[in-house]
Amino acid sequence: MATALALTTACGGDNGDDGNNGGGGDGGDNGGSVESSIELPDLSGERLEIAAVWTGAEQANFMSAVAEFESRTGAEVSFVPSGDNVATFVGQKIAGGAAPDIVVLPQVGVLHEFAEQGWAAPVDDAVMEQLNANYAAGWRDLGAHDGEQYGVYVKAANKSLIWYNTTAFENAGVSEPETWDEFIEVARTISDSGTPPVSVAGSDGWTLTDWFENIYLSQAGPEMYDQLAAHEIPWTDESVTEALTTLADLFGSDQLLAGGPDGALRTDFPTSVTQTFADLENPAAGMVYEGDFVASVIADGTDAVVGEDALVFPFPAVGGEPPVVSGGDVAVALAPDGEASEAQMALLAWFASADAARIWAEGGGFLSPNRELDTSAYPDDVQRDIAEALIAAGDDFRFDLSDQAPAAFGGTTGQGMWQALQDFLRDPEDISGVQEYLESEAARAYGD
Amino acid sequence: MSTPHIPPSSADSGRGDGSDADTPGALSPVRPEPPRHPRADGSGRPAGPAGRGKERSVASRLASATAGGAAQVVLILFGLLWLLPTAGLFVSSFRDARDISAGGWWTALTDASQWSVQNYSNLLGKSAFTDSIWTTVAITLPSTVLVVVVGAMAAYAFAWLDFPGRDWWFLLVVALLVVPIQVALIPVARLFNVLGIFETIPGVVLFHAAFGLPFAIFLLRNFFAEIPRELLEAARLDGAGEVRLFTRVVLPLGGPAIAALAIFQFMWVWNDLLVALIFASSSNPPMTVALQQEMRQFGANIDVLAPGAFISMLVPLAIFFAFQRQFVAGVMAGSVK
Amino acid sequence: MADGRPAVIRARPWAVACFLLPALLLLGALVVYPIGYSLWRSLFDAPGTGFVGLDNYREMFANPAIRRALQNNLIWILVAPALATALGLIFAVLTERIRWSTAFKLVIFMPMAISMLAAGIIFRLVYEADPDRGVANAILVSVNDTFSEGAPWPDARPRPDSGLEPGPEESLVATEPAAVGEPALLPLVGVAPPRVADAGQAVEPEPAPDAVVGVVWLDFAPGGGGDPGVVDENERGLPGMVVEAVRDGTVIATATAGADGTFSLPAEADGAELRLAASNFAASFNGVDWLGPTLVTPAIIGSYVWMWAGFAMVLIAAGLAGVPREMLEAARVDGANEWQVFRRITVPLLAPVLAVVLVTLMINVLKIFDLVLIIAPGSTQPDANVLALQLYFSSFGTSPNQGLGSAIAVFLLLLVVPVMIFNIRRLRQERKG
Repeated sequence: MATALALTTACGGDNGDDGNNGGGGDGGDNGGSVESSIELPDLSGERLEIAAVWTGAEQANFMSAVAEFESRTGAEVSFVPSGDNVATFVGQKIAGGAAPDIVVLPQVGVLHEFAEQGWAAPVDDAVMEQLNANYAAGWRDLGAHDGEQYGVYVKAANKSLIWYNTTAFENAGVSEPETWDEFIEVARTISDSGTPPVSVAGSDGWTLTDWFENIYLSQAGPEMYDQLAAHEIPWTDESVTEALTTLADLFGSDQLLAGGPDGALRTDFPTSVTQTFADLENPAAGMVYEGDFVASVIADGTDAVVGEDALVFPFPAVGGEPPVVSGGDVAVALAPDGEASEAQMALLAWFASADAARIWAEGGGFLSPNRELDTSAYPDDVQRDIAEALIAAGDDFRFDLSDQAPAAFGGTTGQGMWQALQDFLRDPEDISGVQEYLESEAARAYGD
Repeated sequence: MSTPHIPPSSADSGRGDGSDADTPGALSPVRPEPPRHPRADGSGRPAGPAGRGKERSVASRLASATAGGAAQVVLILFGLLWLLPTAGLFVSSFRDARDISAGGWWTALTDASQWSVQNYSNLLGKSAFTDSIWTTVAITLPSTVLVVVVGAMAAYAFAWLDFPGRDWWFLLVVALLVVPIQVALIPVARLFNVLGIFETIPGVVLFHAAFGLPFAIFLLRNFFAEIPRELLEAARLDGAGEVRLFTRVVLPLGGPAIAALAIFQFMWVWNDLLVALIFASSSNPPMTVALQQEMRQFGANIDVLAPGAFISMLVPLAIFFAFQRQFVAGVMAGSVK
Repeated sequence: MADGRPAVIRARPWAVACFLLPALLLLGALVVYPIGYSLWRSLFDAPGTGFVGLDNYREMFANPAIRRALQNNLIWILVAPALATALGLIFAVLTERIRWSTAFKLVIFMPMAISMLAAGIIFRLVYEADPDRGVANAILVSVNDTFSEGAPWPDARPRPDSGLEPGPEESLVATEPAAVGEPALLPLVGVAPPRVADAGQAVEPEPAPDAVVGVVWLDFAPGGGGDPGVVDENERGLPGMVVEAVRDGTVIATATAGADGTFSLPAEADGAELRLAASNFAASFNGVDWLGPTLVTPAIIGSYVWMWAGFAMVLIAAGLAGVPREMLEAARVDGANEWQVFRRITVPLLAPVLAVVLVTLMINVLKIFDLVLIIAPGSTQPDANVLALQLYFSSFGTSPNQGLGSAIAVFLLLLVVPVMIFNIRRLRQERKG
């Protein structure tokens, strides 16, 4: 009786009991621990190394989830910041024979490369069990390569959000736009009111690719999006021209970009956020586009309060439906020359569990693709709403295109999409030139 | 040829008549020179400023006084210009993230409320950073000792021991002086992988030692060769063997050159980024790599990077001020690396 | 002395071996062998299995990214050593007779003691584009501001089709001519609310019989609302705005708007063109985009010069100490001025030292890596690319090609071979001589 109650509590109730395939016997084992939704082996004496891009608070939150794993299994886990180019980092380490045990990749394209190279190890049954229980098929399949499951999505990002400074909106007397045309109109009005309307982080190529992807997904539709992601249609396609032309409404305007295109190009992502929210009286920008993780930058770098001074609206619809572009980080076990160890798999299984997601979520700045996670674990309403929207999208979201592409095309400084869109921001007139560059880079990176 | 005891650079290697023979690396001309035992020509130095200007006319003195005034102004301006960047880092390291994103570091000069040691205590509270300090030490000290010991042994052999092909071997060492370390990155990564010391402190130490050696051997051999032969012969007659000669005669007399070499090598390794980036363990990296990992999102990380960079500068700066002469001599001699 | 005289010690072979072996082992395994391996590896493709001959070298000169790196390296080699040496020479000469020269030299030389990483962080801060954050631009802007007064309304601009069109320079011209008895309405937008905090409520002036009157105001009420082109409640005047009446290209009258934005021009302005003077708007100077695509390499070179000018200075000062005083004095007594003495005597005597400094810095600059990696932001890293950085990315980057990386390494080695040969020849000459 007591155990049945405990299980219901653990599920948060709202997903129904069918979501929990644990069964009675399982529950008996867990009788003492109300929280546990996963069984882990004893790994005393094992040492694991995880590499990921996170630093600072992001890293600390992540490690609090890992600390629980350590205390449950007795394994010792160390964290290595990999720097921005994870693929570079891992390549370098593998060349020297000292690969980290688990690497968290921000680009799914890299997962495919690693699987192709034979560096990544497929997951075992225990991990698969967690994945089947807790993940929508869309999120599960993102971690697979050629039908084999390699990765576990540990973190999701909703990349279809525009954050705004409420003072700027009040001064201009505007409200949240729903379509691209309204968005441009709102931006113009904010500009008229004396606030530079849109803060763009042009110094970080990945933010520009996210702009493009949202527009393309909404304008050209999901099927075209998938084809472009797989490079089945060329980047010189009409649909790309159209999306870039739309983006030029914004990028081509000195008045709509905070600091103009030159200013945008030297703004990095954190600065694009802080400049929007640092001065609440007289903001240096009215809106800033990026994913849910903007919230933690606001909290760390400014006095603005998310939910009061900083609010968020979904990326406006350009053609038909408003886009839902998601991103995320996938954990992969590396075993360049052989089998993955039990400890590696146990850690992946832990990441796929609702327990890990809950501990991580409590720290804030985190969105889980784990549908079994009780959203009450999120620290504030803004985060909760974003998370619920993402889970509600089920399999209807599209994953960040540049992250699906080979890293050389979608995730490397000075190459491919990053470079192309920075060139585009520098000179939004030259759409065909950008498209040709994109196509030539894509042809090289996709190897066709 | 006078003493090549510290060549100005290897581009000039073996050049003993160097214009630097007298005040190698002295930032301050008035600083008394430590005794340099083996030097034969210590007396050749000009008498300095004392002898000059006796016969100058009043007019030319006046002219040079104004010129001196202008020169002083120019130098003061340059001095300030040179200090400004470091001052910016120093002040920034005491301001929190919000102040940093709100305005320039100079606003803190008139606003005491911006100053706080919070960044430092945050940083020093992180074991990842404090560990990196120890890693830096654990890499730097052995590399320095290894280069000095191995280099001195080889230099002694090149200077005083007889073996076939001695000159040719030495030429080879001189040729290696300017080999860029970039050439070795890929091959040594492979080699260390096979040996199992990739991503370990011993690997980094060996790499630094190997690339420090040509210069060490070159510098010390030239210095050791200056030791008066009589001293060695006398010791030899007393029955000293090769090892005794080395430890009792050559090493003590080689003190100044060894000090310059040690300090130069120490600074070089302490400040290195590239070698550590590739060969050091990234879960336990030295300070330079730890800071480089934080460069991601520079704009949001200044409150970590500024104090971190400053802490990493403390030891080199302390050494620089404490051992100016040796450091300058070492840098002058070894800048080609 | 280094003349191959017999060594004092007839050493036992095993003793010689003991002294030499550690060094030779290290050098052999970690310096000599890698040279050979790189040469060999550079002839193979990315996986290292297929022999490709010199293709990697061809790729090196064909690949646009690497070509950019080559170009930048060339700029580095031509500019950085020359600049550092020139500054070093100036410092060395100027400090000769200064009492506090030691302090000065300490300051200039100090950057040599710190890592390129720390210097990179220092200069990332210096070069921040926002003049409120980066000291380089803060200085430029404040210097600029002392010489030119800032415009009162740099951000103000008209709405499209609001009756004001861009005129010459940055002025705005009314589409309607001035008319007595018909107040001119000149609406502008784009001014942030705090900037008009001191301005009064804008007022549409009453027509005057003997003057051209009008109002220039901020046609945007905080919080929105209000009709474009109409002076509404809560809309502020733009005081200080200079209004000119222009006929046939000459300004015939000028007025300045009051706190409520109204202005009044004499009646002879009737029918003239109304113009808001360019001085109202002249965009404020916001500094230089140091780390933008065009300036990023010069900016990084600047940080390098900051680090290495001290090195040049110390070497040159040491050389200067060896210049015979009597020669200089003799020239001065003969009536040569200081410049002539410097130009005709000091520099020629210093030529060997200058050459050494230059060559040393050139070798050093060839391998520049840390500064570029740290200072160049992502968006302009390709513009700042140099060979050593490209080698790092080619060898260990995304989709690495160690064949190409090795080719770059070999190329770097080739570039220093002349210096290597020069060193060896010097040494051999001395031994013979």
